[in-house]
Amino acid sequence: MVRKVAIYGKGGIGKSTTQQNTAAAMAHFHDKNVMIHGCDPKADSTRLILGGKMQTTMMDTLREDGEEACTPENVMETGFEGIKCVESGGPEPGVGCAGRGVITAITLMEMYGEYEKDLDFVFFDVLGDVVCGGFAMPVRDGKAEEIYIVASGEMMALYAANNICIGMVKYAEQSGVRLGGIICNSRNVDGEKELLEEFCGKIGTKMIHFVPRDNIVQKAEFNKKSVIEFDESCNQSEEYKALADKIINNENFVIPKPMTMDELEELVVKYGLVD
Amino acid sequence: MGECNVIKKDRNSVINPLVTCQPMGAMYAVAGIRRGLPLVHGSQGCSTFVRYSFSRHFREPSEIAVTSLHEDAAVFGGRRNLISGLGNLAVRFKPDLIGAISTCSSEIIGDDMVGFIKIAKEEMTQKMGEKEAESIKIIPISTPSFVDSHFRGYDNAIKALVDNLAEEPTESNNKVNIIPGMVNPGDTREIKHILALMGIEGIILTDISDTFDSPLRPSATEFRPFYPKGGTTVGEISDSSNSLGSISLCNYSGSAAKSLEKKYDVPSSLGPIPIGVQNTDQFLRNLKKYTDLEIPEALLDERGLLMDSMADLVSRYLFGRTVAIYGDPAISAGIARFVCELGMVPSVVCTGVESKEFEEEMKKVSKESDGPVDMLVGSDLRALETRLQEEPVDLMIGHSDGRLFAKNLEIPLIRVGYPVYDRAGYHRVPIVGYNGGINLIDRITNTVFENFYDAEHWKLQQ
Repeated sequence: MVRKVAIYGKGGIGKSTTQQNTAAAMAHFHDKNVMIHGCDPKADSTRLILGGKMQTTMMDTLREDGEEACTPENVMETGFEGIKCVESGGPEPGVGCAGRGVITAITLMEMYGEYEKDLDFVFFDVLGDVVCGGFAMPVRDGKAEEIYIVASGEMMALYAANNICIGMVKYAEQSGVRLGGIICNSRNVDGEKELLEEFCGKIGTKMIHFVPRDNIVQKAEFNKKSVIEFDESCNQSEEYKALADKIINNENFVIPKPMTMDELEELVVKYGLVD
Repeated sequence: MGECNVIKKDRNSVINPLVTCQPMGAMYAVAGIRRGLPLVHGSQGCSTFVRYSFSRHFREPSEIAVTSLHEDAAVFGGRRNLISGLGNLAVRFKPDLIGAISTCSSEIIGDDMVGFIKIAKEEMTQKMGEKEAESIKIIPISTPSFVDSHFRGYDNAIKALVDNLAEEPTESNNKVNIIPGMVNPGDTREIKHILALMGIEGIILTDISDTFDSPLRPSATEFRPFYPKGGTTVGEISDSSNSLGSISLCNYSGSAAKSLEKKYDVPSSLGPIPIGVQNTDQFLRNLKKYTDLEIPEALLDERGLLMDSMADLVSRYLFGRTVAIYGDPAISAGIARFVCELGMVPSVVCTGVESKEFEEEMKKVSKESDGPVDMLVGSDLRALETRLQEEPVDLMIGHSDGRLFAKNLEIPLIRVGYPVYDRAGYHRVPIVGYNGGINLIDRITNTVFENFYDAEHWKLQQ
């Protein structure tokens, strides 16, 4: 059974980095067959796996060579530890409809049955927020069943996480999608862990892992590699290994109970992040 | 043996199109279901113009519901429109089936129709009770208008119906599935007539013969909601997985047949549409292959009558005349072959879609032709008009949309297919099967009489 996982979170929080490192850890340490489908028009969800290479996206292929050229052979590449990579891509900034691009890309991949082929995990890496129907595509019926939200101990990150939960509740009734937990990508702010744990408790989920801040992530990125490929024995690789392990063995799937704006403000004030 | 030239359209814009968008095909398909209603998830125009187009061709009312998306739905999504639309239809019309058809707007805003339908179903269960709600099947049909044409929409709809309704096979029902494609009620009736002569029961996916051409006999007991008689029942579609085989008359409408073959091992064959002698022979051979039944005397007689008409008319009046054919890719290719059988030359064949099957089929036809064949693919009526201005032909065969330039170019037009709105009754007269061949040859020859012979001509006197 393929487990389909969608990663959401505020823009710039480190979704793509966390997702690629986790996928790399899953393939490297836990011997899983993994596929990554990037659903962000920026198309930066697979470059660490492919050694810094910007992949030709599905939308580029569609635009330049037409629908018939948009086959798995043409748009899928294999990177570190055999991880299969696809990028939806999108229109040029400021024109067209990126959401529709995501729908088209996922429909095409489904048509070719790519999500079912000898895989253990498929990751959908989705841009910042659930802004429209297109970006909710990965959580529709029969697609991703689990969502993980990347957050940190900052007001805006929590606000975005809460918003994603609101969007998710709508889909949870009809498609059976569940929240698997919150991944904390630490920003080194005071009381971060406690704040996030309380936030998770309030919305009815748990913090699945606390990923500490470590410069090696940036260093690996400069070398166009995931941390695992760059230095598998470093502490940060262990952290991603642990996160991958927790996702593999996760049994805690819930429909979140999003907080109201007032509750959220109160929570942040309690931890003294607002002066 | 004639050569075959593939000519693509040399401009980006389309002038006088030969195709319309996908939802129209889906509405056509759903209209062939007993107590079935199409619900278009889009703006009002998406249903209005199709309804108008159906009504002027079939001269029947057509019930097509719409979720009436306005600007606010484009911003907030069409969830509420679809859910309340489905609820209203269920309560007021108590249909057996609703085909929820998407459009360009609902596809672009990314409405999750499968999810919305689930919610609507739950609401229906609460309001009407489980049994009543369960008896209304709701089928999501994805028809993004910006992709391909109405032929693809028809194909998508039939596939959605079969994929959602066909059940795990139990035991053979000894029937044959027939997917007619976008043909007229008369054609579907002729197919049923052939099946009856063979002694075969068919499952027609879907049967528009009565729903689009229905007797005016107001019922004393059944007033509202009004449904035309006929149509394929939901039960028949569920049973389609138990059939001996599936035949798609048109090669653009075979996805459902292929899906049944892949999932449940029901063998399938796609096209060619049984127009003319060879193609009808092929259709009968396919029926024989699936059922092991012999071709009855009555059908051989019908074939004999067609041969007789051909012997009577071809050499004297038709031989060597050049013809331009346009419209539906399957019907055009079928008529092109028939025209070759009649000793005429299909000089130009023009269709609005780009399809490999059409090109392959036409290449075969051109080998049977006495003269060169120009094939206009992915084209429009303006391209055909320009071509005919440069090199005129003797006759045009196609639908009503070509009538104006046919008149200007003084080329007689023989009307077939859809839409024909400037003549009466053409939807009722078949062009498929041997009987359809007789109708066609009569129609063509009468047009030749009218246009190429004066009343005292010696050939007419004898």
